Amino acid sequence: MAIEMTSTAPIIRSLPWGKGAVVAVLAVASLIGPYVLDPYLVNVLIRSFFYASVALTVDLLWGYTGILTFGQSTFFGIGAYAAALVFTHVGFDPGMVWLALVGGVAVAVAVAGLVGWLAFYYGASPLYIAVVTLVLPIVATQLVLSGGTFTGSSSGLVGFTVIDLGIEAWFSIAAGGLLVLTVATWIFVNSEMGRLLVAIRDNEQRCQYLGISSSRVKTYLMMATAAVAAMAGFGYANFTMVVAPEMTGFVFGTELVIWVALGGRGTLIGPVVGTILLDVVSAYLSGSMPFVWKLAIGSVFVGVILFLPNGLVPMVGNFIRGGLRRVGMWWPEAVAVADITPMAHGIEGAQAYTDAPALDISHLEKRFGSLTVLEDINLVTRPGELVSLVGPNGAGKTTLIRCLSDGFERTSGSVIINGNTLDRQPPYDCVAFGVGRKFQAANVFDSLTVAECLRLARNRHEPLSAIRRSRVLNLPEPAVRVIRTTGLDKIMGTEARHLSHGMKQALELSMVLALEPSILMLDEPTAGLTKAERHLIGDILVDLAKHDAFCILLVEHDLDFVRQISTRVVVLHHGRIVLDGSVADVVGSELVQQVYAGSGKFGERK
Amino acid sequence: MQVLILDIVTTAAILFAVSCGLLISFGVLKIINFAHGAFLTIGGYSALVVTQMGWDPLLAYPFSLLVGLVLGAAVERFIVKPLYDRPLDAILATWGLGIVISQVITIVFGRGVQFVQSPVTGAVELFDGSYSVYRLAATGGAVIIGGLLALLMHRTRLGLNARAVIMNENLAQALGINSSSVRLIAFGLGAGLASLAGAIITPLSSVDPNMGVPWLVNAFMLVLVAGSSLLALLIGSVVLGGLQLVISTYGSPILGGLTIAVAAALLLRIRPKGFVLD
Amino acid sequence: MSRSRPEASLRGRLAAIPSRRAFLGAAMVLASAVSLPAQAQETIKIGVPVGLSGANSVVAPSVVQSAELAVEEINAAGGVLGKKLELVVADDGSGAAGAQKAFDQLVFRDKVNVLISMETSAARNAGLPIVSRGKVPFIYTSFYEGRSCNKYLYVDAWVPDQQVAPIVDHFMDKNSAKTFFLVGSDYAFGRGMLEFSRKYIESRGGKILGEEYAPMDATDWTPIISKIRSANPDALITSTAGGAPNVTLTKQLRAAGIDKLYGNLAVDEGTAKSMGADATGIYISASYLTSIDSAENKTFLAAMGKKFGSGLKTPNDLSVPQYEAVYLYKAAVEKVGGTDAEKIIDVLDDVSFKGPRGVIQMSKQRHAPLTMYLGQVKPDGSVEVIASFADVDPGDQCPNLK
Repeated sequence: MAIEMTSTAPIIRSLPWGKGAVVAVLAVASLIGPYVLDPYLVNVLIRSFFYASVALTVDLLWGYTGILTFGQSTFFGIGAYAAALVFTHVGFDPGMVWLALVGGVAVAVAVAGLVGWLAFYYGASPLYIAVVTLVLPIVATQLVLSGGTFTGSSSGLVGFTVIDLGIEAWFSIAAGGLLVLTVATWIFVNSEMGRLLVAIRDNEQRCQYLGISSSRVKTYLMMATAAVAAMAGFGYANFTMVVAPEMTGFVFGTELVIWVALGGRGTLIGPVVGTILLDVVSAYLSGSMPFVWKLAIGSVFVGVILFLPNGLVPMVGNFIRGGLRRVGMWWPEAVAVADITPMAHGIEGAQAYTDAPALDISHLEKRFGSLTVLEDINLVTRPGELVSLVGPNGAGKTTLIRCLSDGFERTSGSVIINGNTLDRQPPYDCVAFGVGRKFQAANVFDSLTVAECLRLARNRHEPLSAIRRSRVLNLPEPAVRVIRTTGLDKIMGTEARHLSHGMKQALELSMVLALEPSILMLDEPTAGLTKAERHLIGDILVDLAKHDAFCILLVEHDLDFVRQISTRVVVLHHGRIVLDGSVADVVGSELVQQVYAGSGKFGERK
Repeated sequence: MQVLILDIVTTAAILFAVSCGLLISFGVLKIINFAHGAFLTIGGYSALVVTQMGWDPLLAYPFSLLVGLVLGAAVERFIVKPLYDRPLDAILATWGLGIVISQVITIVFGRGVQFVQSPVTGAVELFDGSYSVYRLAATGGAVIIGGLLALLMHRTRLGLNARAVIMNENLAQALGINSSSVRLIAFGLGAGLASLAGAIITPLSSVDPNMGVPWLVNAFMLVLVAGSSLLALLIGSVVLGGLQLVISTYGSPILGGLTIAVAAALLLRIRPKGFVLD
Repeated sequence: MSRSRPEASLRGRLAAIPSRRAFLGAAMVLASAVSLPAQAQETIKIGVPVGLSGANSVVAPSVVQSAELAVEEINAAGGVLGKKLELVVADDGSGAAGAQKAFDQLVFRDKVNVLISMETSAARNAGLPIVSRGKVPFIYTSFYEGRSCNKYLYVDAWVPDQQVAPIVDHFMDKNSAKTFFLVGSDYAFGRGMLEFSRKYIESRGGKILGEEYAPMDATDWTPIISKIRSANPDALITSTAGGAPNVTLTKQLRAAGIDKLYGNLAVDEGTAKSMGADATGIYISASYLTSIDSAENKTFLAAMGKKFGSGLKTPNDLSVPQYEAVYLYKAAVEKVGGTDAEKIIDVLDDVSFKGPRGVIQMSKQRHAPLTMYLGQVKPDGSVEVIASFADVDPGDQCPNLK
């Protein structure tokens, strides 16, 4: 089954002629610029272009992916020092240029990998990440300072021979490089991988539960941006013929963040224009009144963070667009409408029915300090079973689901998923074992469209592309049924943030189904849905269990719903399983009545 | 050896004093106040004002605490509060605020190093040598601050509320605790303590518009390894401060200068809870 | 691309392939367009890239003031070759990136005739390639760690070879110090000064008990102070970064009760004053102290006081060389009869000026023999001159340049 989305053509083809024309004009400008501009301005601009290249990497990390970094300056510095050190201590010839460039990039990438390992472990707080990126340039600067005559210490290195190019050539290299980088980044951020970055920023947890190792993605991204920053630094050192410790320092690192913030994070034009503009203006103004200039920058920065988190350039852009629209010269892009084309391509190889346990849980415990939330949980479920977990609020139902889908959660006990022993492993490994988890509160990617959310959910079956966006979305049949019945197929181009609560629930369920899991863990999947929709979901679940041999774990308060669809009911109370049997067993149980006596009637929603 | 232990104790005490304000605001607000260095500087200049007015040098401490409290509360209301649900933006805004504060101080007081009167000076004979009286006095000050903070957190209604917010803000709100005012007080108190620490270090430090910056990263790291526990901060200050001192003494002061930052980052990688017990 | 030795190659390349550096060509065309009708240029522009912000911002205002006085005096006396001097000040942020901007601005936008300035070594180094490209004479007026050489560069301030000896000699001869402990900030100047000090002390038979460096932004000197205490040297020599590290080290030394002979290679009069009683007794060695008893110095101080009144920044060892350098440039222009860069470079070592520091002539490999003064800080913050050493030679700084 596939849904074709005419709206998401390959990016290259969707590059509108207007944008193409802008790129062409800028390319010409990068060639003729140095001949028409004032030489001073040309000098300033060349440096700004290099800075803007690094600012773009900060934007990719922070604006798109949500990793606030103060450390990109270090990678810039590594590239610059690679050139200076090789040319000063080894000598200069064309071979050395390549050695220095490749060496600098390699060191930068290695350091970025190390930082990634240090900062992006599963569960690391964004604050910790920010502070690690702050420590990086401080350590780097200290290393340069203590390098004596080798690194030139505080004086930096000067007077080394560099690639001998004229100022025009440097202008073209810097401007052309920035242009190429910007276009490449534009293609990347609009690709499926690019949407993944935004997904990580929006909801890293959901990414993990879609089987994506966000830690790995972030580390690779950091390594890639480190390579770009190192190349910019390499160019910068060759142009200016000087390196100094401050190029690796955290003041420069924070300056980059300020430029990106003022320009407009999460856009490409913003950071580029912001950096160039601020750097050029500061070249003309800050010379005469440095303190007032810094005070102004600091104040504007605070103001922008508070009131214009999207930065100044997008604001100006919206203003211009609004004006053009008013005079009828600009039309907003048509809202994408998805077209569904059924294909004979059904779910790939439904699980063969076996009697091997899907889940085998023994002696599972979860404690928070002295508080025991789950105690001695023993449970075996098999394919084809639809197991409802019931119990009053606080019984530990959701905690149990969490312990089964994230290896770090449980305190002790063993969990075997489809024959795989669950170690201390992050959720994306559980997804690999066949687990699909839907959260209690709708958990989707706010900034992504419905189609994009679903495409990301397919990442394990169809690797995401870094340069294009697929026209066709291949989805397993159950997911398509949910999408069609709830009407999601009519709004494939709508951002998830604009969906109603029920629609978000349906979207998340279809995302989980798109994973093609064999074990479904659903935390109140029908909350917020209409009666009809609830029926439908129930049918689908029963179908999945019966025909496709899914093992389904359902947390549910609605007893009617439970009664209709379950093959088995497990009652949790005070963190223990108090009953485990058929629907009839449980409904007739006196114990269950007692369990619910203190917290409302069984079946009553909180 | 005795001197080394004395050095470790006094270093840890000063680190504790410099970081505890940050800890309070981090614990309650869950954001790191990047303007912490600027508040240290404000404390240094508050002490300078006391000197310039010819007041008793001891007045520098209550005065700096007060200045920090008031400014901190204002910052919380106007800058931090609107950013509660954007923690990374909150640290950026406080970073920008730090820039603004240091430029304003530069414009008002000038860029140069200032002279601040110290209430105690000189050295005392200790362990076959002389030891700085002020370091010992500062250690005493840190102990008093730590003790008062512990009392405040564990023996008062305010502390109870603060601890409730630290543990579970939603639950605390449900129990009728006004978490907004707890945040206001915590941030103000944090800034006040930072400012007080700035005044405390003036006799050892240079008073200039950037005086807080070198303390910043060490304070961040100590707070990260301490979570929101005063006890963990104390342990962190002693262990990491001691490590820094040992590496500086037997290795090189340059490596020593990086010790706290690097060791804390590694510790958090291996044990995300840092020095928090249980 | 070319393969060759750094310094020579830079110049060789620039001279050999001017067409490829069409930018240079453009700069020269512009320069000649401006200077050919010499009368058309109303003023002679002096570029002053200086650290108005950053580490040097404490001392930069005094540097600018002394340059302003020199320009005012010269203009009041009719200028140079009938033209007025004009100062163009630009902030270099005390660092490399800022310096590149400042030098670019001065050389290519303002098209100054000469650069005269006191800067950090990083800023100076960052500016040198631009100076070479723009072919502008550059008189560097800050004391520094030595051996910075460039065709267009002259220096009229001291280097370690001139500054260290007075303190060490005094300690060894007058105070019979035999053992020394060296403490510095880990940066080019700190290491350069102490390296020279170590060699000099050892060559005189003294003993180094320890040589310790702390990070440039160190605030806590506890471990080093403990080491000093246990080493128990006769004398202490420090070379820390200006400003904060200087202040923190001195304060903490005094607080720890260490009362050794203390020579500070990096403290200036102003900073000593701001440290109050803690600075008392420190020995400093400088080519300028306000208490120098000469007619030129008294005239200079009086003129500064008159011009700037209460806004006066105390003249110091960094600002006075700036004042004198303006006069040295004036002398060179008058000798050449114009501002042609190559000719100015040729004669800058021939001209001299008698200023507050005495007669200055940058005649030794682009550096100047200087009269050095040994001073000691008094309880009131003033510096008393204890001894002076006439015409101390800068040693071999740039043997490849005449």
